[in-house]
Amino acid sequence: MQDYIVEMEHINKTFPGVKALDDVSFNLRAGEVMALLGENGAGKSTLMKVLSGVYTRDSGTMKLFGQEITTDLTPKKAQEMGVAIIHQELNMCQHLTVAENIFLGRERTKSGVLSEREMKREAGAILGRLNIDIDPDMVVGDLAVSKQQMVEIAKALSTNARVLIMDEPTSALTSKEIDDLFVIIHKLRDEGCGIVYISHRLEELQHIVDRVTIMRDGKFITSVNFADTNMEEIIANMVGREIKEKFPKVRCERGKKIFEVRNLNAGRMVRDVSFDIYEGEIVGIAGLMGAGRTETTRAIFGVDPKEGGEVLLDGKPLDIKCPMDAIRAGIVLAPEDRKKDGLCTKLSIRENIALPNLDILCNGAGVVNAKKEREMVDRTVRNLTIKLPNAEVNAASLSGGNQQKVVVGKWLARNSRVVMFDEPTRGIDVAAKVEIYNLMNELKQNGIGVFFVSSEMPEIMGFADRIIVMCDGRVTGELMVGEATQEKVLEYATRFENKLQKDRAATA
Amino acid sequence: MERKQSPLKKLFAIRGMGQVVTVTVGLVILCIVFGILNPMFFSGKNVGNLLRQIAPILMIGIGQSYVLITGNIDLSIGSVVGMSCMISATLMTKGVNPWAAVVITFVCCIAVGILNGQLVANCKLPPFIATLGTMTIARGIAQIVNNNYNTDSIGEGAQGFRDFFYYGKLAGVYNTIWIAIVLWLVFNFVLSKTRTGRHIYAVGSNIEAARLSGVNVITSTTKAYVVSSICACVVGLVTCATSGMGTMDAGNMYEMYAVAASVIGGVSTLGGQGILLGTVIGASIWGVLQNGLQFAGAPVAIRNIVIGIIVVVSVLLDVVVRSGRKPRRKKEPAAAKAA
Repeated sequence: MQDYIVEMEHINKTFPGVKALDDVSFNLRAGEVMALLGENGAGKSTLMKVLSGVYTRDSGTMKLFGQEITTDLTPKKAQEMGVAIIHQELNMCQHLTVAENIFLGRERTKSGVLSEREMKREAGAILGRLNIDIDPDMVVGDLAVSKQQMVEIAKALSTNARVLIMDEPTSALTSKEIDDLFVIIHKLRDEGCGIVYISHRLEELQHIVDRVTIMRDGKFITSVNFADTNMEEIIANMVGREIKEKFPKVRCERGKKIFEVRNLNAGRMVRDVSFDIYEGEIVGIAGLMGAGRTETTRAIFGVDPKEGGEVLLDGKPLDIKCPMDAIRAGIVLAPEDRKKDGLCTKLSIRENIALPNLDILCNGAGVVNAKKEREMVDRTVRNLTIKLPNAEVNAASLSGGNQQKVVVGKWLARNSRVVMFDEPTRGIDVAAKVEIYNLMNELKQNGIGVFFVSSEMPEIMGFADRIIVMCDGRVTGELMVGEATQEKVLEYATRFENKLQKDRAATA
Repeated sequence: MERKQSPLKKLFAIRGMGQVVTVTVGLVILCIVFGILNPMFFSGKNVGNLLRQIAPILMIGIGQSYVLITGNIDLSIGSVVGMSCMISATLMTKGVNPWAAVVITFVCCIAVGILNGQLVANCKLPPFIATLGTMTIARGIAQIVNNNYNTDSIGEGAQGFRDFFYYGKLAGVYNTIWIAIVLWLVFNFVLSKTRTGRHIYAVGSNIEAARLSGVNVITSTTKAYVVSSICACVVGLVTCATSGMGTMDAGNMYEMYAVAASVIGGVSTLGGQGILLGTVIGASIWGVLQNGLQFAGAPVAIRNIVIGIIVVVSVLLDVVVRSGRKPRRKKEPAAAKAA
């Protein structure tokens, strides 16, 4: 039994109006992987930001490597003491190179001049040690999100961290990349690092976690060895009640064909895509990252230009040139990246919900009818049980789950025929996920065509009625959920064209 | 992983070099066109004049580039030029030793830079508003130092000062040009080779990432604004030396010329992007257009219209080139923040 390297006792932290941390205690040993679990807004990230010096605590004691921290910790000081954090949102300077990002804030200099070559060499060495094949000279903005994540990890490790905090490190990674990450985590653990692992993907835990700490509503709930507990217990502790079903599925009669995509082409990532959606079913689109799933939804919605193919609604071809055409026809998209594409985070909830529906809410002269608007917002908030102080607060102030409900809700406020979801449950907690599923069920029961893109295999397997698999911009397979297995889906998802496989290997 | 790169590829691999090469081609074409229109364009006398026209634009361009790279903007540049011109001239007419006057002027201008940096980075004012305020204040100071009059001649005693900043020559090249070159060499070195410079890029690229990496955002931003005020101060002194007196509206509109020189040279107004070599080319295009159109006998109105078009087109070109080259779906948090 090793000593604790992190001991936090009775930590309190209050933000204006919210008690984010209420008498929380947390500890971590060297050479263990600790999962820190809880719903969105439970205070996990806040606690870790206190530990890494981003926030200062209001009260409570903190010991790092047995040494009592009396003064306020800053990110820099925490880093020097060996605490590194990988934040949930990628925090890279997009315009700088990999090496420059890795050494940002602690550049090596020689009599005031940056030692570029030395930093580049060391960055290469760090990346090599982690088996990450990225050129340190690449500009970070040109890398795929998953690669950026790897750079972020390399950056954290380059500080010789002995405590490594990972906040949702896998949310942007494919399963292959997650495996790579786990190898790295194991390696670090064996080297004696203490690792704090925050994730909503509970199914990952069994592969890496030694101990779990569970938080709820800013309070410490329990801390147990992973081996001594089970998923049901963990979930019950997280949400404070039992969740009966992770994937609540309702059976519906499959009705007539609503929506049809024929030979859709749009750039390299959407090639000859054809599929159809029937009444009373939910279709899941599976595939690896970069399979062209998001691009397909964007092309259908008219965000990206189509090069060929047809989109048919109720048997009639549609001419969708821009999102407005799609919305008018009754096809809507709840996009993947809430903060970037889904919400105007600086506008209020009311304004966000009204935004795509102004055509309904305005009179002939283009003046918004405030009464109609309020009714629509009230109805949406009520129907979707969005938790908010009032509809005038900024969309950014809501938790991830509630933000997602706003994104969905603004589309449901108008009568749509087909709703596309891109990663509808990314980064939201178990309870909120179930609510989103229930919403999708409701759409399905009302005869609306529903399909969703997801990178989480269990979600696809557990919730979809039919699965369409994409790989490299093409539909490579279609499975009814009864006949689908993870292996089959993966097999389709990796069915690259031979030629492409070769030149991928060459460019990688 | 190590791959051999051709020298040309290496050149393009340097951050921001693409736009610089494009505008350099534009500059060469402009020079050729003006040379054909009027062969006197390339005469020794005109080239000397041209370079002296470019020098002040380059200097304020350097300052504005620094600020733009941090993702901010400095509207106070023109007023600081005026302030520097008036303060130094007033002091000299009152019999203060010219070099002492220069030092005092520097202190005053740097104070404006620090104020800008603190307002923007520490008080979190939008840079447009903060520097709009200091712009007005600095212009007011320029007017008040000599009771709302332009100064008299700074006198015989200041001949050394005037030679140093404008009339003197070293190795056959006017001093103003040397000053611009030295300023450029120093600040280009700072921006590309030192920690300060790296932090300035980082702040403009992703302020949150920079902060979390332990970069002092307030200090870095303030440094950029101070560089800007130093550059403006030098230009003010040059203006004073040129006319031998202080004029209250010296440097009027210079902040916008500085933005133009920067963005023509590929400095992004959204921060994080651009190099000072680009600013040199941007300032040169500006100067060549002014001088060349004047030489070709175009009236001022035409000159303004042409230059305005060049600014828009050069940035448009960059946008088009970039959107064609880069993958479409890409996160741009820095851009979102700056907007």
